[in-house]
Amino acid sequence: MISAPEAAPDFPVIQVRKLAKKFCTRLRTSLWYGLRDIVAEAWPWSRPRTASLREHEFWSLQDVSFELRRGEALAIVGANGAGKSTLLKLLNGLIKPDGGTIRLRGQVGALIELGVGLDPVLSGRENIFVRAALFGFSRTQVNPVFSQIEEFAGLGDAIDMPVQFYSSGMVARLAYAVAIHLRPDILLVDEVLAVGDMDFQRKCINHMLAYLAAGGSVVLVSHNPYHIQAVCQRGILLEHGRVAFAGSGLETLDRYFAQQHQLPATRGTGPTTGRPVVIEALTMTGEATPAVVAGGPLRLRVDYQAQQAYEAVGWAFYIWTNDGLTCITGGLRLEPVRLAAGQHQLCCTVPQLPLTAGQYVVKVAIFELHSQQPLALLGWEDAPVPLQVQGELTLEKSFQTMLQQLVTIPVKWGDEQLGVH
Amino acid sequence: MREIIYNSHSPLASPRAFGRAVGLDARTVLRVGRQLFVRNLIVQYRQSVLGYLWLLLPPLVLALTWTLLSKANILQGEKPAVPLPLFILTGIFLWQAFVETLNSPLQQLTSVRHTLAKVRVPHEAFVAAGMGVVVFNLLVRLAVLGAVMWWYGVGWHLTLLWVPLGLGALLALGLGIGWLVALLGLLYNDVANALTLGINLWFLVTPVVYVLPGRYAALLNLNPVTPLLLTTRNWLLSGQAAPSPGFWMVAALASFGSLLGWLAYRLAQPHLIARF
Repeated sequence: MISAPEAAPDFPVIQVRKLAKKFCTRLRTSLWYGLRDIVAEAWPWSRPRTASLREHEFWSLQDVSFELRRGEALAIVGANGAGKSTLLKLLNGLIKPDGGTIRLRGQVGALIELGVGLDPVLSGRENIFVRAALFGFSRTQVNPVFSQIEEFAGLGDAIDMPVQFYSSGMVARLAYAVAIHLRPDILLVDEVLAVGDMDFQRKCINHMLAYLAAGGSVVLVSHNPYHIQAVCQRGILLEHGRVAFAGSGLETLDRYFAQQHQLPATRGTGPTTGRPVVIEALTMTGEATPAVVAGGPLRLRVDYQAQQAYEAVGWAFYIWTNDGLTCITGGLRLEPVRLAAGQHQLCCTVPQLPLTAGQYVVKVAIFELHSQQPLALLGWEDAPVPLQVQGELTLEKSFQTMLQQLVTIPVKWGDEQLGVH
Repeated sequence: MREIIYNSHSPLASPRAFGRAVGLDARTVLRVGRQLFVRNLIVQYRQSVLGYLWLLLPPLVLALTWTLLSKANILQGEKPAVPLPLFILTGIFLWQAFVETLNSPLQQLTSVRHTLAKVRVPHEAFVAAGMGVVVFNLLVRLAVLGAVMWWYGVGWHLTLLWVPLGLGALLALGLGIGWLVALLGLLYNDVANALTLGINLWFLVTPVVYVLPGRYAALLNLNPVTPLLLTTRNWLLSGQAAPSPGFWMVAALASFGSLLGWLAYRLAQPHLIARF
């Protein structure tokens, strides 16, 4: 780590250039490499061997570049193992890059696993001072903001209770309250809001927006589209340690979901041993055309493979918003259906699809009626199937798009003018 | 607002910047370490019935055991100039301080390993806090030792003024080795296991509970703890001002070693975290 003199005022607060980090897949080899790297640190004139991979090593991050200015929030999106947490650790200065450079201008605060560093035996009040001390703040510096921390955490009398008796949500409240009231210039947030309740999440999002408006900068790692949409103007999508896409927060989310939806192509090709029923495909079309049109019919076909016959099963499909957060509608068949052994289909038709034009996702479940236990699922633990609903370009549709309206309902408008005489 | 740059180069490639960073951190470490020390003191015995009595119980039991063994003539050798229980108790208190210092960095850093992997905090602050507890424990034991000296009617000598120097050298030696042990021990668990075994053997080849036998004096003096412990005990009990052979050399090396160990740990820190 090097401290350089103050930079120009318009200089980005975070500047990452061709960042690379490698890890080793084998623990003992990794320890041995670690020892060699430590010895190499003591001899700075030796030729750095960081550019190449040693045996059993892989690039966790490679050629990652981006910038972030004051008042901006950047979302880092990607599947598990894409390198998001490694990137945050590098930005936080916990680990060293193996290539490239990170330039940070300002004090960095990190919200990574909120409960870490809190002493379970100490009370919430005592932990506030200890945690602040860990970030380099003395008791006299904390005293003026103590009441604000206490108020934001909203723990009431529990503030004097040992932290070991706190719920995970209470721990999150306390840790978040301390971290944000120490006023860092750059805030790194790693999937930590999920543990709090809705009220706390709303509070945090509002706080982050106020913090951004006051000139702070946020780097947010999250799988929650609502948090990303609410906070981040910009985003980058990481794929196998590389930047696969960089754009606005919404564009990055769209690209991420599109990437997730490509996964069903491999569905049904894996081993099916041990699974009694496998859903191999879900096909959705219009009545006579492949396109599904708003207000038109929707034909739904589920291709399944069953190891044995089942006499009484039920099945259901559910249509969700494209971000997977809200289930809009669906169909549930509770009359017993016979599932024949081998490769077969289940079909149904929605005569008039009430959805407005746009992108949706669909999930399917087949379950035993008497136990109500699922026999096969599609889109619940794996990626759901995308549904594109088309519509004509009309004034009504542009209103629907503007308002993010999801469904249309038949309305009978009255012709008479009602009034009081 | 200063700019911080992270890259793959060794911090030693820019020695001035490295020195400045160490200097800045040293101030933070002392401040944070003090707060963590207070926390350690509170937490240490909060879930305990006997509480701070645990500071004294283990060394007292150990001293009593060795005194009984010596009185039963199981240990053959020269008798000390001061009462045997006092001689043994002093030796064990000093040895205990050395061992606690040696163990402290690895113990402290291992206990907060998970925090260090997730939160950017000065690692040295935890070690400083641990050292605070070691010094606190030592002071309590020295107060008890003072009472025992009074009980046996051992006179106060001017050499007592030199005792802090001897204790400082003993702790510096422990800390220097402790940094190295922490560096390796955070990578390999073998180090912690070997340390337990090593310390037990080390205790036996250090004149803690026996008088340095003339026949093996040259050999036992190769043990760096020997001159530091003997000199400090003499300054405490007998008033003999002249330090044991090798005292000044070991004290100088220990001071330099503790600084070097700290710098080595700083260089190793990101590589250790990457493997937590």
